Amino acid sequence: MNIITSIMREDTFWSILLFIHFLLAVGLLAAITLQAVFVLMPARQVAGNFVDRGPVPAAAYTALIIILYVAQSLMGAWIYVKYRTYVRIPMEQLRHWWTVGSFEFKEHIIAMGLGLLPAYWYFWQQPRSVEHATVRKWVTVFLLISVWYSFIVGHVANDFRGVGS
Amino acid sequence: MTQTLEVGERFARFDSSHAVDAPASATQTRTKFGTFAITFGIAFAILYTAFERLNWPLFTYHPVSGLLEFGRQPAGIGPPMFWYGWIVLALIASSVVSAVATVVPEQWLRRATVFCCALAALWPASLTGLRIFIVDWATFDADFLNSAWVAAIPGFVAAAAITYYVPSRLAERVWTSWLLIMPLGGLVILGYSLQQYFVR
Repeated sequence: MNIITSIMREDTFWSILLFIHFLLAVGLLAAITLQAVFVLMPARQVAGNFVDRGPVPAAAYTALIIILYVAQSLMGAWIYVKYRTYVRIPMEQLRHWWTVGSFEFKEHIIAMGLGLLPAYWYFWQQPRSVEHATVRKWVTVFLLISVWYSFIVGHVANDFRGVGS
Repeated sequence: MTQTLEVGERFARFDSSHAVDAPASATQTRTKFGTFAITFGIAFAILYTAFERLNWPLFTYHPVSGLLEFGRQPAGIGPPMFWYGWIVLALIASSVVSAVATVVPEQWLRRATVFCCALAALWPASLTGLRIFIVDWATFDADFLNSAWVAAIPGFVAAAAITYYVPSRLAERVWTSWLLIMPLGGLVILGYSLQQYFVR
């Protein structure tokens, strides 16, 4: 940390980190949303034997989603240190209780999503198997909700005291 | 020539036995990983919720001083952070549980899952019930009942009874459903515990 602060200002470093966190979040959002749309909207039978499908099979996103989810969790855990001292304390002083509470819940929903990742990977190894189709769909939807919720709440916290606020 | 053919045949047989064994062992590995992954998802949700509610972190981080201390520690300079400690402890504990699950017979695993999930719901429920009883109903000094260990007794008995009476087929059918029920249940409990922020 001392090496980094000798190169740039501490605030600049945290802003860069927060911006990378945001960019990765957008990538994760895109990937999980596409996959969730695929599992929630079954392929349409257009005509004859032709089936209308997306250009990229949903299973192809699985590894990317897991990597991004873990990377985002680690990065969020790192930024959380700054949030706890630099953002949350003034948030409490200004009585932004809803923002504090929503952010606390974000920690929990991300943790629950982390716990589901091994099963999520396992279910997507055989994307066409009927055996785990329902649970595969709902685990994907759970991750979708956790990512969207975290993105929105993180954005609100950033607006309070973060990049560009 | 005959010898060469025999050797060739033996090799062919050796190869074909591998060809038969390979998918079987791959399926077995996949099944074992599946057992690990599903158990991990269920166990993590239960353990993370329990560690958070009981406030049992593996370590405490003090962000102002940058100090990392083992177990739960009081605030030093600035606020203490427990979240890392809960997550790491839940990851370690659920990895151990899931590793054990891969060597347990399937039927036992399904029953054990029913027992643990029922216990996870009934233990806090009986503690809440006892607290309501102490405050609203008890006509004697029932403060000794206000203990997580006293509440464990009816929780264990009821979970054991449910496990005993649940048919094997049902236990097998709902096994993967716990993977969603437990995280959602955990989030309801954790969300309820945050109500202080939303009702001010």
